[in-house]
Amino acid sequence: MHNFDYTQLVPSYIQAFEAYYPSKPDPELMRLYGVDHLHRLNNNENALGPPPEVAQVVEGFTPMAVPVYPNGDCFDLRQSLAERFDKDPEQFLVGNGSCEVIASVIKAFCEKGDNIITADKTFAVYEWVAEFSGFEARLIPLKDNGFDPQAMLDAMDRHTKILFVCNPNNPTGTYWDRSTMKGFLDAVDNRAVVVIDEAYCEYVENDDFPDGMALVEQYPNVVTFRTFSKMYALASLRIGYLCANAEMVGVIRRTHIVYSVNTLAQRAAAAALTNDGSFIRATREMVREAKALLCPLFDELGLTHVCGQGNYLMVKVPVSDTLMYRKLMTQGIMVRTMTGFRFPNWIRISLVQQPVMEEFCRVFRPVMEEIQGR
Amino acid sequence: MKGFDQSVSVSLAADIAWVPLVQSVVEKWAPVCGLDDSKTMMLTVAAEEIVVHLARMAPGTQVRFRLEPGGWHVRVEFSFKADASDLWAMNLVTKTDTQEEIDHLGLLVASRAVDGFTLGFEGDTLHLGLRKDRAYPVVTPGLIQPVETRGELTIVRDPEPELIKVACVKALGLYPSDAVPQAFFTPGKVVDMVGQKDLEIAVATDRSGALAGMICWQAPSEQGISFSGPYIFTTDGQAGDLLTKHLINTVARTRAMGLFSESATTSLPTEDFESLGHLDLIQRDGKKSEQGVWYRHLREDMGASVWAHRAYAEFLEAAYHRQILMRDLKIIEGQGERLPERSVFSVQLRPDAGKATLFPMVTGGDAAECIARYVEMLHREKIFNIFIRIDLAHGWQAAMGKAIMDNGFVPKLVLPYGGKSDILVFQHA
Repeated sequence: MHNFDYTQLVPSYIQAFEAYYPSKPDPELMRLYGVDHLHRLNNNENALGPPPEVAQVVEGFTPMAVPVYPNGDCFDLRQSLAERFDKDPEQFLVGNGSCEVIASVIKAFCEKGDNIITADKTFAVYEWVAEFSGFEARLIPLKDNGFDPQAMLDAMDRHTKILFVCNPNNPTGTYWDRSTMKGFLDAVDNRAVVVIDEAYCEYVENDDFPDGMALVEQYPNVVTFRTFSKMYALASLRIGYLCANAEMVGVIRRTHIVYSVNTLAQRAAAAALTNDGSFIRATREMVREAKALLCPLFDELGLTHVCGQGNYLMVKVPVSDTLMYRKLMTQGIMVRTMTGFRFPNWIRISLVQQPVMEEFCRVFRPVMEEIQGR
Repeated sequence: MKGFDQSVSVSLAADIAWVPLVQSVVEKWAPVCGLDDSKTMMLTVAAEEIVVHLARMAPGTQVRFRLEPGGWHVRVEFSFKADASDLWAMNLVTKTDTQEEIDHLGLLVASRAVDGFTLGFEGDTLHLGLRKDRAYPVVTPGLIQPVETRGELTIVRDPEPELIKVACVKALGLYPSDAVPQAFFTPGKVVDMVGQKDLEIAVATDRSGALAGMICWQAPSEQGISFSGPYIFTTDGQAGDLLTKHLINTVARTRAMGLFSESATTSLPTEDFESLGHLDLIQRDGKKSEQGVWYRHLREDMGASVWAHRAYAEFLEAAYHRQILMRDLKIIEGQGERLPERSVFSVQLRPDAGKATLFPMVTGGDAAECIARYVEMLHREKIFNIFIRIDLAHGWQAAMGKAIMDNGFVPKLVLPYGGKSDILVFQHA
């Protein structure tokens, strides 16, 4: 019998791809860094927790619901989404986090030789899914920390199938206003699918922010992504969705795994949609207060920072971001290093409640003084 | 033919009768892969000596040997089951005073006939790799003056071979030889190494297309990337920051955990890096200098466990504390277990820089004595910058600490993720 050499079976684009390793669980990290607490300011979670309506669903979820498969295509949740956004339920596709719908869209439209276009410094999953599926990801440098519409258009060719626009952008918090977005969509002129990822849209309060849900009705090539992980604080349940015209959703459905979204996530998401008034206002207030605390500190310390939309901000530190991460970890603060986002020496900080932000400031200042004094 | 697997594999029994076949395969195959007659002959001799040795020491054992083209080199790998310490005569310090040493002369010949060797283990199978480099013209560096930058600098993606060769010559002309990789003396080899992806190079040019600088890097292990440079060819030195940022962004999304300097120049923007310490160097003219070693973690550190010997555990603890690297030290305790009788080291030599680095391949009971012989031999050759690197992922390497330190070596610095795990660098004091 021949020896089994699995490496011969691995496609070249998988051989070249590097796996992503998420961080270790909190108890293990606390043991390693010798701390008795850990504030996770690295994943842009909503530290207020989900709306109270979700808490009721979670508390009411009985063990007897566990042996039963979830609804395979999130029937009830899609009804709720349709009602909330005044659309047809067939315009929605729900996934195990928006990462799953990213994969479904790429699988639905790309074949060998095709490419996708996005920015070089944005949410990395668009690039990753394209590359480990064997498609080229054309990465356009940000311009003034924002997506560059003209450069994206210039990079298009007949093999370009999808353009991903993260609006507002993670990690810079910049966004295209309504006029820029419409100008871009007009210029694309239906030659490719445009995905507008609105993972953080609920944090934007500016009037000129374009509504992806409305654009879906005006442009047949637009697919809008949203998630329940960020504003609605359902990150551990992993649930996100896309919205587009029903025919296009019908095509994407063909590549989408059914039954991937669990029952609790579906019910919690539907409950979250019933409270997007007071809960969102409270969260926005928390973020505003956090920005008001951190930005003056960074100004005082002479640090460049980027504070746009979203529940996060970025600051450039005068040492490597990974060293800053380790220094803060020894004080029980976990931030996101940005080297992997191609922002070397920047860290991203999630904006959470006042006491934690105050603790961050107390820890950050002496660390900076030590660095600046060395 | 490019892109096809052109390796050749042969399976045979360790028997003198197979020697002509081995000779013939190497003789016919190596020239096809670019070795000239003289180098082909040396590789053939080395392969022949290995088979003869195995036929004598482990007659009849199955030997697989595989010949692999590597662009700028060829490699022969032998795989067999044998006691690794039987290969002690691969040490460059092996003498031929005793009958036993004379009996093992073939291995000494083999190790001297090639440009490098490695020993690895997979269960009870030993893999002995011999590397022979192709011949390339050696350039003599001339005096080069830095020029003024004209216009904005840009990184040239996939620089063409001519640009790489010019950049090597410029670096040699502007920097002392111990500050540049040895391969720069053979620019054609650098081009082939880049072609094989064994080395990566980025160059920066100005608006007129003139070379402004270069930086190069390679991956000595899955988790670590080492770099040399940035080498700046202009008067203003603007390219240093650009090249370094390009390097960081290029490796940021690879599997590497850490990026460390092999030969960092003064143009390195050190605020992007952490200092790991320095190595003390003695130049050929007797002058002393320090070579700073810089590091950058590429990801959020998740901690690790490493092996350590009590002899240097305190040093490690201090280094990890200073670098804020979370490590569980597993202290090695000898329990009277039997060790292989003899040790084997491979050596990386830079005679032009008076530098040698030893890498343990097998730790035997004679480790201290073997190291002492290496130091004596290297001093005789006027090589005074002597280092030993051990990989703390391997208990058997970590256990050598006392033998190393008893020979006058001191632990100098830790290269996080420089090997399978962290590498501890010792320097002969």
